[in-house]
Amino acid sequence: MHDPRAGELARRGVTAPVEYADGDDASAFAQMLGGLIEANVTSRPEKRRDFDRLRARVGIFVTDIGEGVTLDFGDGHLVVRNGLQPARDVTIRADADTVMQLSNVRIGFAGMPNYLDATGRQVAGRMLKGQLRIQGLVGNLTTLNQVTRVFSVAE
Amino acid sequence: MAVAAFSPEWALAFKDEINKSPVYHDAAKGWKWTVGLVVEAEPDKKFPEPKGVVMDLYEGQARDIRVGSAEDAQACDFVITGTYSRWKQVATKELDATRGMLQGKLKLKGDLPTVVRYTKASQEMTECTTRVPVNWPDEA
Repeated sequence: MHDPRAGELARRGVTAPVEYADGDDASAFAQMLGGLIEANVTSRPEKRRDFDRLRARVGIFVTDIGEGVTLDFGDGHLVVRNGLQPARDVTIRADADTVMQLSNVRIGFAGMPNYLDATGRQVAGRMLKGQLRIQGLVGNLTTLNQVTRVFSVAE
Repeated sequence: MAVAAFSPEWALAFKDEINKSPVYHDAAKGWKWTVGLVVEAEPDKKFPEPKGVVMDLYEGQARDIRVGSAEDAQACDFVITGTYSRWKQVATKELDATRGMLQGKLKLKGDLPTVVRYTKASQEMTECTTRVPVNWPDEA
């Protein structure tokens, strides 16, 4: 499903879209997130296009498990690192349930995340209540929308 | 009446709880894959042999849930593996299954986007396990 040793494959000349900086020590959360994105971009061409265009360092911190990861997107490749690394463009902080909901946000008109349907409204509501915090939103809205599209599993 | 953990009686009671749940019925519409739960042995907790729970779930219904070997469970489309203690924590609401997977306390094998798409269904399924009164071998 997803392989924390994908970097070894890349070095052997097999291009894997997702690499784990911590190799076998990649956290379960890092492996899940990396695996989710890899499955999305390898099975859905529209997500692959967004993935190939993305250049950003994105942090995701799950507040109720106290774990974070840093996603380094660039040149059609993603490096997943354990923990929050410095110089992030965008950082998302939410509980596990909200992170799962975020990945269920539907993509609507013009590729914009749909915050008007039931799931979207729940996510927006959590943002208003402070249960979902996004740092770096100003100036990075396009990046955030791209990340949401790459991350979303909704059909 | 309480049933022995991961026994055929427990599987039947679990199946009944799932089929009684309108939340599960709605959230799992479209689900058509088998799910295996591998319960790893913990002899010091009086759970000496691994067991597998094989769940035939289809369109919001539990068609069949049975207890078999770990290998039976590993042959399912989706497999979640944890120790006896972890599953007990899930069934007694000490551990949220989603958090458990993100922390690596429960290991998931299967297509991740599909699982994430059905997060609400899996959460309700976890709720269903908590409604089954259980006799835990390490508490006997």
